[in-house]
Formats: sequence, C-alpha cells, structure tokens
Amino acid sequence: MLHIKNGIVIDPKNGINAEKMDIFIKDGKIVEESEVKNPEVIDASNKLVVAGGFDMHAHIAGSKINVGREMRPEEMRTVRLIAGKFRASIGRVLLTSPAIGYEYAKMGYTSAFEAAQPPVGSLHTHEELDAIPMIDKAALPVFGNWHFVLKYVAEKEYEKLRSFIAWAIERTKGYGVKVVNPGGVEAWMYGSNCKSLDDEVPGFGVTPREIITALIQETENLNLPHSVHLHCNNLGTPGNYQTTIESMKLAEKFSNDRRQVLHVTHVQFNSYAGSSWRDVASGAEEVAKYVNSVDNITIDMGQPIFGHATAMTGDAPFQFTLHKLTGARWSNKDSEIEGGAGIVPIGYLPKNPVHALQWAIGLELGLLVDSDKVVLSTDYPNGGPFTEYPYIMAMLMSRKMREKELERVSPYVQKASSLPAIDREKTLYEVIQMTRSLPARVMGLDVKGHLGIGADADIAIYNLNPLEIDTSNDFETVYKSFKTSAYTIKSGEIIAKDGELVKEVWGRTYWVDARNKVSLDAIDADLTEMFEKYYSLQRENYGVEERWLRKPERLDVGEVR
Amino acid sequence: MLILKPKIEFEVSVDAEITPSIALASEEEIANFEVFYGKEKRKLSELFEVKKEGDSAKIVLEGDFSKVKWVGARMDEGEIVIRGNIGDHCGAYMTGGKIIVEGDALDWVGAEMKGGEIVIEGNARNYIGCAYWGDATGMSGGKITIKGNARNYIGEKMGGGEIEIHGDAEDFIGTEMKDGLIVIHGNCGFVGGDMKGGTIKIKGNFELVPGFKKTDDGFEGDVNVGGKGKVISF
Repeated sequence: MLHIKNGIVIDPKNGINAEKMDIFIKDGKIVEESEVKNPEVIDASNKLVVAGGFDMHAHIAGSKINVGREMRPEEMRTVRLIAGKFRASIGRVLLTSPAIGYEYAKMGYTSAFEAAQPPVGSLHTHEELDAIPMIDKAALPVFGNWHFVLKYVAEKEYEKLRSFIAWAIERTKGYGVKVVNPGGVEAWMYGSNCKSLDDEVPGFGVTPREIITALIQETENLNLPHSVHLHCNNLGTPGNYQTTIESMKLAEKFSNDRRQVLHVTHVQFNSYAGSSWRDVASGAEEVAKYVNSVDNITIDMGQPIFGHATAMTGDAPFQFTLHKLTGARWSNKDSEIEGGAGIVPIGYLPKNPVHALQWAIGLELGLLVDSDKVVLSTDYPNGGPFTEYPYIMAMLMSRKMREKELERVSPYVQKASSLPAIDREKTLYEVIQMTRSLPARVMGLDVKGHLGIGADADIAIYNLNPLEIDTSNDFETVYKSFKTSAYTIKSGEIIAKDGELVKEVWGRTYWVDARNKVSLDAIDADLTEMFEKYYSLQRENYGVEERWLRKPERLDVGEVR
Repeated sequence: MLILKPKIEFEVSVDAEITPSIALASEEEIANFEVFYGKEKRKLSELFEVKKEGDSAKIVLEGDFSKVKWVGARMDEGEIVIRGNIGDHCGAYMTGGKIIVEGDALDWVGAEMKGGEIVIEGNARNYIGCAYWGDATGMSGGKITIKGNARNYIGEKMGGGEIEIHGDAEDFIGTEMKDGLIVIHGNCGFVGGDMKGGTIKIKGNFELVPGFKKTDDGFEGDVNVGGKGKVISF
C-alpha cells in the first residue's frame, strides 16, 4: 500500500489541473483513503504527480525491430547497463528488449503498444513483448493487405470480414486493427504500390478506399476497444497531405460515443505539400484544420528527433523508395499473404532541408491540432528515440525553445512551414493530456491514463512544481524533469526512482477477444482452403495460445449472441 | 614511462583500453585502473606487473599481449611500444601518438583511426584500418605500416590516411574505399570492390574485381558504383 502525499496533481481525464492532492494505492489500483491502512508514504511535496506515460504507437517488438538490430550492429555498441541486479541493456536508438522496458520506466512511462505486428510473426512478437520488463504492452496486427481482407472486401462479404477480424485478433493475441498502406504492400509484391485511394490492388479488384471503409465499418460493428489505426497510403511523398485528408474523410459516416473511429498515425510522414523533394512544403495546417473540424478522428505526431533513427514499417514499397533516395542499407520482409515490411537506417540532420522540414511539420501538428486529438509520438524508432519525448513536450510548451532550435536548423523551414510563425504554447495540462489521458482513450483503456478511483496505479512523479514552473522560459528545467522521473510506480510498486531502476516487474499483455460477437463457422471453410493453398504453415499451427504469454490480460468485448 | 608485464598466462582475453596518458597518472591510480579479464572486472595490477619510471607519456608492454585487446584505443598522444605480440583492436579510433609492435598483431589494427601512427614489425591479420560493422567510414587519417604480411580486408570504407604493407596481403583490399592510400609491396588477392575513390598501389601480382577501366597509369573504378578509385602497379 502506498500513500502519495501532498503531490500536485494534473489529471486531465478528471479535470484536475495542478491541485494539491493525496493519492492512495492498494493492490495495484488507486483507491479511497479509507481503504488504506499503514501505507508506505511518498512525500511528493512540490512535485508533479501524473498518470504513467502511455506510448500508443511504437515499434518495440517483432520481426521488424529484430531485423533492424541485426542489420545495424553499430546501434548495439552503446552499453546502458551491465548485467547485475538488472539485465544487461544496450542500444543507441534501437534498444534491446530489456533496455526498452528500463528506459520507459526511468522516464515515467508505464505502457507501450507495438504498432505493427505481422500476423504470421505473432509468436515472435509476443516472445519479444514477454522479454520487455516494467511496462504494460499489447500489439496491433496488420490487416490492410491480408488476402482474406482483400477477398472479403472484393466479395462484399462484410459479415465474413467481421468474423475474420475477430478470429485474427484472437489468433494473434492482438489488440486491434492496424492498417498499413492498404493494398499498396500487396501491389508491392508485383513491384508496384497504391499511391491514391482509388488505385486498384492487383489481382483483387479492390481499392484502398474500399479496404479502409470496410475495416472501419466492421471494427465499429464489433465495437472493439480501439478504432482502426491507419498508416495512410502514399506515405513519405511530397503532396501526400491530400491523400491523408481524403483517407480521414472515409470516417465521416461513422461515429462512436467512447472514442474516435479512425486513428491516423505518424501523420508527420503524411503531411507534405509540394510536388517533389525540391519544392516540398508543409501540409500540416490543412491536415490540422481537418482534424480539428471533426470529432471522430485522432492522430499521433511521428515527430522526428535530430540524430540517429531506423525507418521500419510494414510499408515495404515506401522503404524501398527511401533506400533509393538515401542509398542506405535496406532489408525487405515478406509475411506470406499478409503483407510485408522494410527496414532502412536513417539519420535526421538539422541542416538538411528535408529533415528540418519533417521536424517542423511534426511540431506544427503537435501545436495546431487540439490537445484532445493529437498524441505525442516519434513512431519509435522511425522518427527517433522515445527517450526524447521530453524534448517534444518542452518544445510544445515553449516558443522561446523553438526559436532557439530554429536557429540551428536549415533556413528552408522558414519558407516551407508555418512553425516559425506559430505563437501557440501548449500548457503542461495539455502535454500531460497528449501523453496520458488521450492515448489511453484512443486505445479504449478506461483504467489507464488517469488517477481517478479504480484506475491502475501506474503513476509518474516528476521534480517539477506546476504551480511555480514557467514552461515558456524554463524549458531546460522542463526537459530535464521529464527525462527522468522522481518516482515511477507500476501497478502500485515503485519501479524507478530518480532515474535509477528500483525493481524489475512484468507488465500485462492486453489482448482483445471479440469471438462471441461473430460466427466463426462462417469463415471456417475459407480458412481451411486458404491455409492449404497459400500458407507455408498449417492452420492448426497458426497463432498464439494465451497460456504461452507471460501475463496475458484478456479483454472480452463479446456480448452473448 | 610505464612498463607492464603479464603476471600470468591469460586463459581468456583481457579488455584493456590503456593509452599513454595513464602513464602520467600516479602509481596508485595506474595500479587500480580497471580492465576486464573475460567478464570479470580486475585492477591492472592484478593482471600485470606495473613499473613506473619517470613522467613521460609512454607505455612499454613486455611479453605476450596477444590476448590483450584495445591497447591504445582512442589514444591521442604519446607512445606505446609492445615488445611482443598484441591482440585485437590495437590503436582503434586513435587520433594521435605512435604505437610500435615489435611482434605480430591480430585483427582490427587501427580500425577507424583518425590520426597518429602504427608500425607493426611482424605480421598483422584482418580488418586493418577498416570500419567497424555498420559504420560508414573506416580509417580516415594517420598511417599504418605492416612490415610483414597481412590478410583479408585492408582499408574497407577507408576515408583517408595511409596503409603500407611490406609483405603480401590476401583478399578484399580497399573495398568501398573512399579516399586515402594503400600501398602493398608484395602480392595480394581481390582489390577494389565498390571502390569510390582513393588510390591503391601494388608492386606484386593482384586480381582486380570486374568493374575497372584501363587508364594511362593503371585502372579506375569501380564503375558499378560510379567510383573514381585508382589501382596502380608500381
């Protein structure tokens, strides 16, 4: 039992803005004072108390990051921790599994979700998630190029599609429906791509527009905790902001009281105006305007951080384009009839006009989009390390810091983006919202991202007094304070203190079970046939059993039919 | 000057990033300098006899150091003389000063070095002046001289400086080389794959990879990567 005393709480979900409050913890949950007897007391006087950070879009496990580690030995030369009480942890930006858990914990983050799980690689993904200590986890399997999906969309068999989604999420022990460059990765199998929403997918006669619409429709029919999570077509191409807005418009006819119906991810990579890399400019203002005008869409930033990064996405054709553009190493992955992936090392240089512009666009999105619609992310490790989230937080809150940073970046951003002209400074409350309550809401997890009674006791305490700090001017203090928490508490246990690890704990792996809402018999024959014809493994051997996971947490969304 | 002699015959490798600047430290500091013996942390004085004479930035290693790695790595000044054989990574990343090995050296001599000089009186093995795996640039300054023979991968991704081998070498000389000079007095195997720039001079026989054009004074390539590297017989 814990008693966090005299802390200054910011808890956007419950409307609490910098109030001195005590918090009580029992059995890993936040409880009323009356339920706690002789607790351990943490003196949080003059300190900021918030919910643990929630990274809803990062690549932390699965075949992609592992291939990244294999092909980037130079990333593996930074020793962070020598084995002792804790496990050895290494990595510069690409971290080993223990390092991922440890670095999140030190920063006050307590949940991180793997944003693209190749379904056939689910077992591997879960083995890796099971090797990440400290945090709660989940993984989003990718659907946008899976032959079943393309087939059912082409045949307009929407009930079968719904059954298939439920089947697939259960088999992969996944959390929701991720869509990466729908149709485009299948087209890549023939050396092509789907650049616009109306490009036909070879061999299936369907378009990205139809795939996205059908997947939103059936995800909403199942009413899954998380909405469709979309990596748009035409990523990383000048002029692509229009494709992004068009994709967002596909959600127009859907709504949900609890959450968005479409989450568009790492939007920075999808907010370019212009017609080539020579005249590329920011399309962030238009994207922000659209997102702010609707209630059913959320986004995350995909903010680049200057320095090393590794591009890794399920968007295999884009990765090839990137490889051709930069000349860097490239690895291509094929996941049978489900899609693919690619990996390319990248470094963001402040003096490079395009990199500087990407950096500016990320910040524009963070600043211009309402704080209840944009989640802070780097799309780790695509935009850079998650350990630099404090940099983004400080930048969003301080115009002065942005002006200082603008001096060291390519002057190209002055004419190609609106960042230099943006006066807006987000408040501490908004930044806490963008890193805690909003990602929890986007993911549909009521017990996360807030400090109300009944919430999970995942809490971060920072050496920052919100009543005194001037976030506009003291940006260095803000950055330093968020870099390492004074305390990180996971399920009621202190796991890190003053930037040092205290205890190794193992978080849950959430997975969603929607089987009770559908008829699996309807797709049984199709599954058998497709596995026999196209997969390299037997249907019986496909998928992950719950008992194989270290600490599974099943979210049953099924009402009895 | 600091003189080190192994106290025991090493069963596993010793990771000792010693540079001449430690010769300037007090005897106690030197004795307590941390090295790894296999996976165990040890004090320098537990593994070596330590003798300090005068106050110059010089280290003399006496005996067999072939299991001792990283000697002179990142050094920027002074001198190291090894009266015997030396292990892997000798002089890696060094920026200045001089290393003389009177015996043989193993792999990764002067990997990614930026300045200074390394002389190996005996033979050396693979990866001389190369880039570590994944890195973009190998040796970019200074000079490495091998009086004996060398083996595979010499100056891979080299960006500057000079490597001179008096004896023979084996395959993959100057692969992905960008700048600088490699001189081989003896014979060698495959030369110049994906070479972008720089010069390789060879006195003996060698095999050129396909992708080089004949020019007045030798060959230019590798055309597969639009390279302007020169391979010259002398």
